[in-house]
Amino acid sequence: MIEFDSVTKIFQEKDRVFTALSDISLSISKGEAFGIAGKSGAGKSTLLRMINALEEPTSGTVTIEDTTLNNVNKIHLRSLKKRTGMVFQQFNLLYNKTVAENVHLPLELHNHPTHLTVEEALHFVGLKDKKDQYPSQLSGGQKQRVGIARALITRPDILLCDEPTSALDQNTTEEIVQVLKKAHKAFDMTIVVVTHDLLVIKALCQRAAVLENGELETIIDVSQSNKQTADRPYYERAIEVLGSD
Amino acid sequence: MIETINLYFEHVLEYLPRMLESLGETGIMLFFAILAAILLGIPVGTLLFLTSSGNPMEHHLLNRLVNTLVNIIRSFPFLLLVVAMQPFIRQIYGRATGDPIAASFPMIVIAIALYARFVEQSLNDIPKAIIETAQSMGATTWQLVWKFLYVEARSSLVIGFTTAVISFVSYSTIMGVVGGGGIGDFAIRYGYQRYETDIMYTAIVLIILLVGLFQWLGLKVAKILDKR
Repeated sequence: MIEFDSVTKIFQEKDRVFTALSDISLSISKGEAFGIAGKSGAGKSTLLRMINALEEPTSGTVTIEDTTLNNVNKIHLRSLKKRTGMVFQQFNLLYNKTVAENVHLPLELHNHPTHLTVEEALHFVGLKDKKDQYPSQLSGGQKQRVGIARALITRPDILLCDEPTSALDQNTTEEIVQVLKKAHKAFDMTIVVVTHDLLVIKALCQRAAVLENGELETIIDVSQSNKQTADRPYYERAIEVLGSD
Repeated sequence: MIETINLYFEHVLEYLPRMLESLGETGIMLFFAILAAILLGIPVGTLLFLTSSGNPMEHHLLNRLVNTLVNIIRSFPFLLLVVAMQPFIRQIYGRATGDPIAASFPMIVIAIALYARFVEQSLNDIPKAIIETAQSMGATTWQLVWKFLYVEARSSLVIGFTTAVISFVSYSTIMGVVGGGGIGDFAIRYGYQRYETDIMYTAIVLIILLVGLFQWLGLKVAKILDKR
C-alpha cells in the first residue's frame, strides 16, 4: 500500500515560492492500477516522484507498505527503490547501450532474487528480435517498450509511469497501454500512472485522482471501457473521430 | 632541382638521430601527461561535475575549491608555471632541469587541470534525465558514474581527450627552456638558433603530422563509440 498523508511540496527558487502540492492525502491499494490525472503543472509528476523518493515532501508523510519515507536511511531507501520500476515520458534509455544492455541495467545495480531474464522481458514487450540494436534505431513506441522491459525485469512491486505515452502518437499510445495492462495482469504489481491523457487512465486504471493547481480535486472509480481499439488502423479511427460531431 | 632535394635529404639524414631522440623525449613527456590526464584528470573532472549544484554530491565548498585550483593552473602562462614549479620539482625529483622526466611535472599538472575541465563539460552535456533514471533505480554514486555517465559521455570524453593531447604536444615544445628536450626544442635549437631553416621546417612538419595523427585517431575512436 502507498499512502500520502497531508503531503505538501513547496519549491523555492531564489525569490519565487511555488506550491506544487498542497495537503494531499490519498492511499493506493496493493495491486491496484491507479491513475493521477491533471493538466501540466498540476503537480502530478511531483506526487509520483515522491513514491520513489526522487522528491521529498516539504511537510506530510509518504508511506510505502509500513515504511515512512521521510526518515529512512540511504541504504534502506536503495532497497525500497530496488522494488520499484519507473517508466518515463522520454524513455530515458542509454543511447550507447544496446536494447539488451539497457534492459539488463537494473540487474547490475542490485541483487534481485526473482528477476526475469533479458529474453523474457523483451519477449514480454514483443521486442525479442531487437535485442542487439541501439535505441537510435528504434521508433518511439519501441523505445518505450524497451523502457517498460527495463522496468519489468526486476519484477517490481510498484511500477511508476510518468506520462508514458505523451511522446507517442495515438496508435502507439494504445499499444503501450496494452503492454502495461498485460504487465499489470501478469506480474501482480501496483501501477501508478501519471498522465494528462484521460483515455490512457480510462483504459488502464481502476481508480484515479484528479489534481488541479497542486490540490486534490477528487478520486473517482474509473468505469472500464471494453472497446479494444489498439488493433484498428489509424485511418479508421481518424474517420470515426473526425467524422462524428 | 634534384640536386637541391638530394642536398636536403642528406642534411636531414645527418640530423635524423638527434631528431628521433627529440621525438622520444616528446614521447616521454606526452606519456606522463596522458597518464595523469586519465588517472587524475578524469576523477577531478567527475568530482567537479558531481559536486556542482543540483548534482548528486552537491558540495559548495569543495566544488569552489577544486574549481579555483583548476582555474589558477589553467590561467598560468605555461612558461611561468614551468619556472614556478622548479623548486618543487627539485625537492621531490632531485633535479628540475636537463631531462624529460623532470620536464614532465608541469605537463602533469596542466594535463590534470585541462582534461578535468573537458571531462566536466562532457558530463554536463549528458541529459539530466539520465541521472534521474539512475537515481530512480537506486544506483549508488559510483554506479551512476560508471554505468550511466561514462557510458553516455564516452565519445565526447574521447574527443576532449584528443583536444587535450594536442594541447600537450604544444605545451611540450616549451620544455627546452628547462632542458627537457623534445621535438619543439629541437626545432628551436637547430632551426632557429643555428639557422638550419630546412631542419626547423622538417621538425615543424613532423609536429603537424603528429597532431594530425592524434586528431584522426581520436575522431575515429569517438565515432566508433558513439551509438547515439
